[in-house]
Amino acid sequence: MIQHDVVIVGAGLAGMRSALEVCKELDVGMLTKVYPSRSHSGAAQGGIAASLGNSESDSWEEHMFDTVKGGDFLSDQDAVEEYVKAAPRVIYELEHMGCVFSRTPDGKIAQRSFGGHSKPRACFSADRTGHAILHALHEQLLKNAKSVKIYNEWYMHALIVDGDRCNGVVVSNIQSGEVEVIQAKAVVFCTGGYGRVFKITSNAFASTADGVMAAYAAGIPLEDLEFVQFHPSGLYRQGILFSEAARGEGAYLLNGNGERFMKEYAPSRMELAPRDIVARAEQSEMDAGRGVDGKDCIHLDLRHLGEARIMERLPQIRQLGIDFLGVDCVADCLPIQPTAHYSMGGIPTDLHSHVIIDAGGTRMNGFFAAGECACVSVHGGNRLGTNSLLEAVVFGERAGKSVLEYVAGIDHGNVNEGREKARVLKKFEDVFQRDGSESYNAIREEMKEVMMTHCGVFRDAEKLNVCIETLQGLQERFKKGKVTDKGKLFNTEIYEILELGNMLSIAQLIANNALQRKESRGGHFRTDYPKRDDVNFLHHSMVYGSQNGPVVKPKPVVITKHQPAERTY
Amino acid sequence: MATFKIKRFNPEKQPQPYYEEFQLDIPPAATLLDCMNQIKWTLDGSLTYRMSCRSAICGSCAVKSNGHALLACQRQAEHLLDDNDTITLEPLGNMQPIKDLVVDFTPFWDKINQVKPYLQPDDEVPPQKERRQSPQEFSLIDDASTCIMCGACYSDCNTLEVDDNFLGPAALAKAQRFVGDSRDAQTHARVQALSEPGGVWDCTHCGECVERCPKPTRPFDRIKEIMTVALEHGVHDNNGARHALSFFNSVKRSGNLNENRIPVESMGFFNIRGLLSLLPAGLRMFLKRKAPPVIHHSIDEVDDVKRIFKELGQ
Amino acid sequence: MKFALFTGCVAKGATRELMLSTTKAARGLGFDFVEMKSASCCGAGVVSEKSPLLADALNARSFSIAEKQGLDIVTICSTCQGTLKKTEAHLNEDAEYKKQVNDILREGGHQYNGKTRIKHFANILATDEGMARLKERVKRPLTGLKVAAFYGCYVLRPSDRSDFANPDNPTGMEDIFAALGATPVYYPSRIKCCGFPIVMMNKTASLDMSGNALLDAIDHGADVVATGCPLCHLSLDSYQPEIKILQETNNSIPVLHLPQLVALALGYSPDELGMDRHIVSTLKINEILHC
Repeated sequence: MIQHDVVIVGAGLAGMRSALEVCKELDVGMLTKVYPSRSHSGAAQGGIAASLGNSESDSWEEHMFDTVKGGDFLSDQDAVEEYVKAAPRVIYELEHMGCVFSRTPDGKIAQRSFGGHSKPRACFSADRTGHAILHALHEQLLKNAKSVKIYNEWYMHALIVDGDRCNGVVVSNIQSGEVEVIQAKAVVFCTGGYGRVFKITSNAFASTADGVMAAYAAGIPLEDLEFVQFHPSGLYRQGILFSEAARGEGAYLLNGNGERFMKEYAPSRMELAPRDIVARAEQSEMDAGRGVDGKDCIHLDLRHLGEARIMERLPQIRQLGIDFLGVDCVADCLPIQPTAHYSMGGIPTDLHSHVIIDAGGTRMNGFFAAGECACVSVHGGNRLGTNSLLEAVVFGERAGKSVLEYVAGIDHGNVNEGREKARVLKKFEDVFQRDGSESYNAIREEMKEVMMTHCGVFRDAEKLNVCIETLQGLQERFKKGKVTDKGKLFNTEIYEILELGNMLSIAQLIANNALQRKESRGGHFRTDYPKRDDVNFLHHSMVYGSQNGPVVKPKPVVITKHQPAERTY
Repeated sequence: MATFKIKRFNPEKQPQPYYEEFQLDIPPAATLLDCMNQIKWTLDGSLTYRMSCRSAICGSCAVKSNGHALLACQRQAEHLLDDNDTITLEPLGNMQPIKDLVVDFTPFWDKINQVKPYLQPDDEVPPQKERRQSPQEFSLIDDASTCIMCGACYSDCNTLEVDDNFLGPAALAKAQRFVGDSRDAQTHARVQALSEPGGVWDCTHCGECVERCPKPTRPFDRIKEIMTVALEHGVHDNNGARHALSFFNSVKRSGNLNENRIPVESMGFFNIRGLLSLLPAGLRMFLKRKAPPVIHHSIDEVDDVKRIFKELGQ
Repeated sequence: MKFALFTGCVAKGATRELMLSTTKAARGLGFDFVEMKSASCCGAGVVSEKSPLLADALNARSFSIAEKQGLDIVTICSTCQGTLKKTEAHLNEDAEYKKQVNDILREGGHQYNGKTRIKHFANILATDEGMARLKERVKRPLTGLKVAAFYGCYVLRPSDRSDFANPDNPTGMEDIFAALGATPVYYPSRIKCCGFPIVMMNKTASLDMSGNALLDAIDHGADVVATGCPLCHLSLDSYQPEIKILQETNNSIPVLHLPQLVALALGYSPDELGMDRHIVSTLKINEILHC
């Protein structure tokens, strides 16, 4: 059995920031199913929010209001306040670590405009901000290699829970196929989102709900799963991301008639309205037959920015267009469509990143979560662009500090290594024993399709019921899937199957939560209930596992400074 | 119908690699990675490779296609077809294969670690604010910081093919990211270390790394920048620096190369072993009348060349 | 077809047979090559290690010399070609930089206007006009001679500055061999590095690179290697005895400069082309061609 003081699952921004904090005093094991530098945080392009005021005066109060309004008043405002207050400090810390930032002429960190933010608040490194921060944190971990052991290409199967305490994780080494138990005094999940359940998504293949489903399987509820963000500018058909920074720098959205249609939806903010509003506007245009050439796509027009500005601020986007489409955005418009991008929901935590197991905030001892897999909730019903990198860094650090506090004076809990290993080995065995009459690929494709069409930008009861039924059918077929590779060595097929299992489960929970929230708020829009309903639904949704399936219960929203008001832009 | 000829290797089953062909209709606008996934998901689930972001930023999916390293997610499959409508896929070079297209990145990361890949600032950090760095200073590390650690350059590096000790293009590009950083205080120590054997002067100028790099990192250009800084910092006690200076001085004196002097000056006048090692080739060439003329001639109008050196303070 | 000939240093020094054979090949093909006697060394990517601006200024001066004559430049060295093209790209991508360089040149009476083109000898031969002349003027077809090209890195990479159509899988040199009546040999190492740039720093690695390429050519049945770069020639020919010791092999293979191969086909004798000056005997070629 492997033993560490603390085990961190996931090595993106939240995981690495957390590790840097914990490794100051304790021995850390950090697990990633890829390599730290390959984590999906690196795909974030446009920026990280902080009210530095480097190009216009700004304040944490304005950042807070924008975040709460952007989240359609479902954010927990105590958490938001601490989060936006911490923002400038964490940015300066990143800069001190060596993170590369674009600069103003006088050498300060440059800031640009972003959707839903009333001030230019996005600190950036050209259009690869996530990449810049990810590598800066990775560099710091390499510097602290003595106190952080990184398990590259290891997969986390299950959380080890004993009563009200978490004692470790069951994992396997992807290269060797060996199953191992890691015993730890505290476990931190920074396992990211689960956008892969949708057909069109900006997410990496690795974003598959392993962490959240392991928590759920261990009896921990999940919060606000119905709130999935669709990003307005995914590459047509591929879904990969063209940063909102393009609009931040002044790009237009044009429908098939060449009109800047956002004037009909958000006249004051136009293309820089929050993402949920822009994505719905695009979908409405396409549904009304005003897509480009009648197709499900909209044009992102950067031509008026000029080559010099594009090369300075958006070089990667330009290259993506050239590589993936053969379209040079200097001369032509980029075809885009809404793409599943970010999960507002996840593992419920308090504002110290400690996982909680009920609406009253009861803590799960020794279990922490941060980043996209967690639901604090600072984003409420819809996250503003550049707030996610900030969340990962702020709450990654908080998780680390909370762990240090929690672990002081605590011993390792009891782990029955044999039993825990057997549990996971049985999972493998089970997959190998299936009769092979179904294709996992077909199951995955059908799941992604139905989630996109029936649980996507626009939802209603009828669609959601069909979606849930379809997913139940897929669950049955999943038990009969065909596996080709039965070896132990670097068996990526078996891991894809395990990931698909997690995705089918989270998809059902998302659809079920969506069915029960009979209102429209933030990223969740019900055409049969098109209005926000603060009387009945101004609360978070907590879904609990039970013998009779998932049970959804409310959890109150923390409202401090800003009472819910009509949300227009 | 396209043919994907893929080098398969699974030591659990058989020790020797072999090639297997798969037929696939390339869907419109499909990337190479899309096609690999089609093969894995519909034809042979055991086909093994790495992938994650599919938007050319995570660096997982580098493979060799038709003999050259590239990122599978970044390239349209149709553009890679050879004259026989075939794409040949092999694992990256200069690293050991583990299974099919997956290679062992251990030496790659070891070398990244060797260049102290983190900022080493002086203590004067403003506690409540960012350090200032001008846009011009940022531009010196902009390109190097785009590296995604995909290993494509490492795979096709000509020096690494014959010398494991070479740090390789990715690690050297990473090194330049700090050598060029106005916030780093260890520039001299860095260029000193990077001038050791295995460092910048072992780069053979083949340009493969620039060609294979899927990002604007262009490692060879970064290596040249390190060389320039090393020479500026007076790190001259190695054959590479001596060679550059000898070359430079020859052009300065005569506008062209004095090939008789360069080998001797590169080795250093007191490096007896090095000088002796020049003898066999020198002697052979002398006997074949291949040795450069004993009296070295300047180019015409050499004064103008001298003037340019002078004007640039060189 | 009149060109300003940028000889490069090595063709006037250690590989004077290259200069000799270039003159013959040009004459045989009816090209008028005017030697640029006041051009400076291209810098070989080494001067730029010390000062990139200096290297570009010196090369811009050379361009200006050709422009004054109203001629395009022909190079006979892959390294010169690549290095000059790099300067050309730097100057043409950045108008401000070009102005800075021209300000430096002004006092010497020079200015670069971006008019002169820079072509390697092989790329002049590979044009329609060049190929037509080759086919028309070949007197001694190189029938039965299996020739392996060794391109030299600098004419291929970076590919966006290369004049060869498909720098990862070029055929320009091989097309020339075929036009001369020879049999081109395709082998993977033909686009690799000879190792010359590090022969003073890491001799073993350098010789291994050359050695591997030579073995590859031999394994693919070549009688001779032909190169467009005198630095590659030094590596592949002058160091071949040491390579054989290092790699413990008895195989050897002669190495020709591209102009030598061309001039042979145009009817010149091996001795006229300085082939007797090579380290590795070229007699095998004479036997195959009966000359």
